[in-house]
Amino acid sequence: MNRTQKGAWCILIASLFLILFGILLFTEIVILKNLFTSLHRFVALLLFSFMVPLFIFLRKKQSTAEVESDERDRLIIKRAILVSFVCVWIMLAAVCIIPRFIVGYTGSIAVWALSLINFVIFLVAMFIYSAAILVQYGWRDKDGEK
Amino acid sequence: MAKSEVKNKIRRLRFENGEMTQQQLADKVGVTRQTIIAIEAGKYSPSLTLAFKVARTFGVKVEDIFQYEDESS
Repeated sequence: MNRTQKGAWCILIASLFLILFGILLFTEIVILKNLFTSLHRFVALLLFSFMVPLFIFLRKKQSTAEVESDERDRLIIKRAILVSFVCVWIMLAAVCIIPRFIVGYTGSIAVWALSLINFVIFLVAMFIYSAAILVQYGWRDKDGEK
Repeated sequence: MAKSEVKNKIRRLRFENGEMTQQQLADKVGVTRQTIIAIEAGKYSPSLTLAFKVARTFGVKVEDIFQYEDESS
């Protein structure tokens, strides 16, 4: 596994984790009205405890002469950025249209909800970006010596 | 990535040059091992620069390693 793949796996896991953490936080604060206040702190601590091994995993090289990235990596990253960029625009368009059907033409929406929506779009874009990288490398790439 | 129409003899040349590993070749030409794997499998067509570097590593001409297979022929 090269550095681009490792980075993509890290972003994929981190974005998925943050989405789940966000759902948990939203449920805890908005729906359950702060019933389990210590739960989100525990999950946040768990996230930070993974940072050190994650950093070591990212920096570990396949060989001493391994390059940071090469021409194929750059091509794959370029395509992944394009895919996530298109997805961001689709999601933004959906965000502009969907609330109209939920709250109506004259309805209102909380300011914090807009911030949350933007943050979720960012996370989903990161998820799509990393998934696009991994798909291009091949999910089941054996990565073995031939 | 779709398979390219450019065939190559890198795998054979590696074995003819002292059973060179993919990692050793990758280090010599300045790419990752995954790129060498992809080129050998025909999943990726290298740039001209990389093709020349690979040819220089094996001491052969570019056309001795890479062959373009035209579907019409």
